[in-house]
Amino acid sequence: MILVRAPLRISFVGGGTDLPDFYHSSPGRVLSVTIDKYVYVLINPTPLVHKFTIKYQKTEFVDSPEEIENTRVRATLLDLDIRKTGIEIGSFADLPAKTGLGSSSSFTVALLKGLNAYLGKNFDKGELAEAASRLEIELLKEPIGKQDQYAASFGGFNIFQFNEDDSVDVESILLDYKKKLLLEDHVLLFFTGITRTASSVLTDQKSKIDKNFDTYKKMADSVFEFNELLLAGDIKSMAKMLHEGWERKKSLSSNISNSIIDELYKAGMNSGAMGGKILGAGGGGCIMFLASPEKHAEVRKKMNEMFKKNNLSDGKEIPVRFVQSGTDILLNNDNTLNGF
Amino acid sequence: MKDYIKTFLNEIEGSLKNLPEKEIAKAFNILQAVYERDGRVYVFGNGGSLALATHWVSDFNKTVFSHHLDKQIKRFQAIRIPTTESELTAWANDVGYDMVFLGPLQNYLQENDAIIAISSSGNSLNVIKAVEFAKKKKVAVIGLSGFDGGKLNELSDAKISVPTGKGEYEIVESVHAVILHLMVKYFKDYFDHIMERKQKNS
Repeated sequence: MILVRAPLRISFVGGGTDLPDFYHSSPGRVLSVTIDKYVYVLINPTPLVHKFTIKYQKTEFVDSPEEIENTRVRATLLDLDIRKTGIEIGSFADLPAKTGLGSSSSFTVALLKGLNAYLGKNFDKGELAEAASRLEIELLKEPIGKQDQYAASFGGFNIFQFNEDDSVDVESILLDYKKKLLLEDHVLLFFTGITRTASSVLTDQKSKIDKNFDTYKKMADSVFEFNELLLAGDIKSMAKMLHEGWERKKSLSSNISNSIIDELYKAGMNSGAMGGKILGAGGGGCIMFLASPEKHAEVRKKMNEMFKKNNLSDGKEIPVRFVQSGTDILLNNDNTLNGF
Repeated sequence: MKDYIKTFLNEIEGSLKNLPEKEIAKAFNILQAVYERDGRVYVFGNGGSLALATHWVSDFNKTVFSHHLDKQIKRFQAIRIPTTESELTAWANDVGYDMVFLGPLQNYLQENDAIIAISSSGNSLNVIKAVEFAKKKKVAVIGLSGFDGGKLNELSDAKISVPTGKGEYEIVESVHAVILHLMVKYFKDYFDHIMERKQKNS
């Protein structure tokens, strides 16, 4: 049995500039951090059951990879040419899908790492991120970028630069614990209860990249300034940048925000938050604020009122800590069994 | 006499000032990630370096948590290899000295672990063999070396080399002790901070 864990992520600045339509003209950059909420993939050989057993919200029990409905699992098995029956793949997660925290790519990264381990292969972080990106973007034709695959694979605070030649530079931000915990103490994260697929928002956004080129360029460049503020522990200026970035991002596509999101954001800001943004492609998912710890109770109260008022029964706070670890194999006892 | 002492201290000071801070920071991140995923840290070296490894293990496993020994917090799992002199001599006598670290490491090492390899020259064959094994398993390597860094510095993920002339063991080993204590101090302060925050919030 092989158990793999991949973290979700919060992106602070630059999200969207990881789309190839932009970075093929000018380098894209994203600054993000992984959090203590994970997607787990479990792979178990079932030598006595000659089937492919896939367990997620539903259970699939089929004879060949082609028959698998789950697109990611099907594509991965076919791509790795795993055709021998007798394998069970299950997935588990700390949070629901479509929250804007990159969970679908975290799943792909975990799945790839696990299935490669199943085949006795071992990828480094860069190879793993690239393999997951290739699977989602080239094989599954998803209109997404590469930031989530890289964030999940590497873990921690990073700046990812997406180059015109499709290579990616990874710069780990060496943040000491004081700055890290200070930022953690200011972060408030709420799931809005509104879900959307990133693809639906990104397809519209992608079609307008040419028109909004200068805005994208500014977003990609803002990563440097944010990094300096992060290293200096300047929460107030970081919050201001997030706010400006969010305003800027909204102009890229009418799908990125909507009246409820705008209202939720305004409510948070009016009850004491210094800045914030919607996480992920937009249109729903999570909303993050930076607020002084003494203001947290007030923002929390206001957001809960707003969720009630808008009938967002799934809207709730997600307590969050930053983590350094990326996608890891927590258990691999396949070899031990072979020894007997 | 005073001049002799002064010269040595100046050399130490010079080495300390030229330490690769960024690489030490990378080592902190590697250790942090190992802690989060419940991995283990294996540490080893020859002679004085083995003594440093032993000293560090006791500091890292216990002293880091000294202020909170009564609390049930998850601790580090640092292990010096070989763990017993019996194992050391068994490998050395029966197979060869180049196997004293690789031999035991093969029994233990899992993908979610990390290793700290200590070698002043950066070229000790038994150390390099163990490091190459870790690299093959994609396990993160923190390398503490001296002189020109040697092969260890090339192979490491966190390349902590103390630049000195060839053969300056006293300088290198002294500065290695400083770096290892810095790791201990950083995580001690970190966990103190976390526990204080916990108390404040409860």
